[in-house]
Amino acid sequence: MASIIHKGNSKMTDLKQMLLSGFDDININIPEDNRMVVSTKKESVLSILIYLKKFGYNHFALVSCNDWIDDNEFELIYIVSAYQKNDEQYQDIEKSSIIVKTRISREKAKFITIIDIFENAEPYEREIHEMFGINFEGHPRLTPLMLERNYKIPPFRKDFDTNKYVENTFGKIPSIKERKEGNK
Amino acid sequence: MDRNKISKWLKNPGKMAHKYSFHVVYFCTGCGIIEIPPSITARWDAERFGIIPVATPRQANLFLITGYVSTKTLKAIIRTYEQMPDPKYTVALGSCPINGGMYYDSYNTITSLDKYIPVDGYIAGCMPRPEAIFIGVTHLWKLIDMDKADGYKRYREDYVHYRANQEQLFGELEWPPLFIKEIVK
Amino acid sequence: MRELELYFGPQHLGMVGNFSITLKVEGDRIIKASANPGYLHRGFEKLMEQRTWIQNFPLVCRINVVEPDHMELIYSMGVEKLAGIEVPKKGKYIRSIYCEMARVASHLFGAWAYANMLGFDTVANWAMYHRDLLLDMFEELTGARVYHIYIRPGGVRRDFPDGFTDRLVKTLHKIGGKVPDYNALFFENRLFKERAEGIGVVTREEAIRMGAVGHTIKAIGMEYDIRKIEPYAAYDQVDFNIPTRTGGDAYSRLLAIRDDMIESVHMIFKLIDKMPTNGEVCTKTPNPFKWKVPAGEAYVRCESSRGELGLYMVSNGGDKPYRVHFNTPSYNHGLTVLEKALEGESIADVGNIMISLYVVPPEIDR
Repeated sequence: MASIIHKGNSKMTDLKQMLLSGFDDININIPEDNRMVVSTKKESVLSILIYLKKFGYNHFALVSCNDWIDDNEFELIYIVSAYQKNDEQYQDIEKSSIIVKTRISREKAKFITIIDIFENAEPYEREIHEMFGINFEGHPRLTPLMLERNYKIPPFRKDFDTNKYVENTFGKIPSIKERKEGNK
Repeated sequence: MDRNKISKWLKNPGKMAHKYSFHVVYFCTGCGIIEIPPSITARWDAERFGIIPVATPRQANLFLITGYVSTKTLKAIIRTYEQMPDPKYTVALGSCPINGGMYYDSYNTITSLDKYIPVDGYIAGCMPRPEAIFIGVTHLWKLIDMDKADGYKRYREDYVHYRANQEQLFGELEWPPLFIKEIVK
Repeated sequence: MRELELYFGPQHLGMVGNFSITLKVEGDRIIKASANPGYLHRGFEKLMEQRTWIQNFPLVCRINVVEPDHMELIYSMGVEKLAGIEVPKKGKYIRSIYCEMARVASHLFGAWAYANMLGFDTVANWAMYHRDLLLDMFEELTGARVYHIYIRPGGVRRDFPDGFTDRLVKTLHKIGGKVPDYNALFFENRLFKERAEGIGVVTREEAIRMGAVGHTIKAIGMEYDIRKIEPYAAYDQVDFNIPTRTGGDAYSRLLAIRDDMIESVHMIFKLIDKMPTNGEVCTKTPNPFKWKVPAGEAYVRCESSRGELGLYMVSNGGDKPYRVHFNTPSYNHGLTVLEKALEGESIADVGNIMISLYVVPPEIDR
């Protein structure tokens, strides 16, 4: 059977050179054959994503968020990969995924939306808004996606205690028998 | 037909006909829905017990709650339960409706279903096999014979307390109370 | 004409699972649709931060109720990448056979759902019966019909019993021998063509822009499959094709699903021939009560029966995960592609389009 020959890191190292020369305050490392991690400041995230899309990475995989409560910062993660360019054979960049990371402050948590570049980021940003409390400017509808009620602290942050919440809300409701005996 | 069943049929034909023809509401509430299609198709045939799924709650008299219940689903369950005509029965599957199950510390699932709508019985398993569902249904027949499956009567008599529990969880409910005009707090 | 707002709600005969869509209709045509998930939300990613690495396996299964095996696989792959564990050769072959069995069972469940919604009760009963024969094989191997917790970091839990592969081959011959009848009654039926052709069209440019994966992309002629792009387990040792169709409507998607199922059955035969007879099935991992995984982050992906499944995992050196994020294929299909594909269709076709896009609601809510 024809084995798919991996061309090594040639395209990834080319991309690394181009990114290092084009942007400042950027830090790239390649941990293995098909992953590249780019850490940068928050003002250059949009232009890096536009550059990667023109280079061929047109499949947007996910937006995620980490809560580093000890540093008092949120960390936003963007992961992109590629569909195949032509229909006949697999090219080299389909195997790789690129992770772009940036940090924003935890008190005033806001960032800019990337819907104009990748259209399917809309529900991901809605979910991060209701679970972590980050405001995305320019998003057309930031209404709740899955939750049914409001919480004082957004539920996925590290200072939200689930056991205490369950005890205060669901544990305090009495059973029917207790209500009937309490009435009499 | 056995000889000792003929007297039961003659004494109370309505109850016997009611028992042997359950109509199940088609509502997939949770995980346990994965074992309902095998139960109603050809291998483990549920129609020999008289069970058949129907489209609307206005034509149903058995409500199967298959697994855990989240707060958004609980609103839909209460509205569906109140639309079913009397006499009606509720059966819950799994251990999540009893005390929260494996999601005991989740902020979105309730811990005990009996506080909001009346439940007649529970079937064990995660998920219960089709044979377990059939054994549960035959046990429900025995309870109906002994007049112990009276969830709908309890809902009618103690509606004040059920409504107070529902409002303590949700705040103000958008639909008016079902049985009485004013609730005395 | 006037505009009306309808709730295609959770209690509906044409709805698969617990999901709701708000429709704005004018007469019988849909103008705008907006999806409303959240009925099955349990907060998995928060619950998994409070249990140890091994205690998370019973939770991970229950994210996708129809096909829980690929969830176990992707979580194990993430832990193995962070901790640097290698899987032995026989373990890789067993993992591939197990995942292909799960794929065939999941496609038969999808055939039941589609036939039941259209009204073809005969084919629905056949599909459920054949899936039950495969569940008997799972019960012999792992002990449970639905949630088998069989994969663990480093390999699988136990080896195949004696004679298991012969019984599996006999069951698959029984299922495969019925495919000409399925074709004659369902897939090449003139009624099915009339009810599914031209419904829910997703063009190529729209699909790439909205991030569609799985059979939605395979039905417009692109071969995008993670088993060929980033081979995991034993997929680089066997030779297989990826079936595609052109057309982009519900008919092409259903035919692509049928071809995928037949290809999986042939792949199981080839894997059984090549599997080594002796060998270990699992590498030893440390004591699960005290296992601390080194700090780092990992992004792994695999191909479930619905599309590309990805996992992003962060560890800070402790005995519990720090952050886990699942990227499921139904998230894009159920929230972005569905709202676009429903514009201009009639109300009677909503269930048709939803099932042909292969959306499973527990995957959206997690």
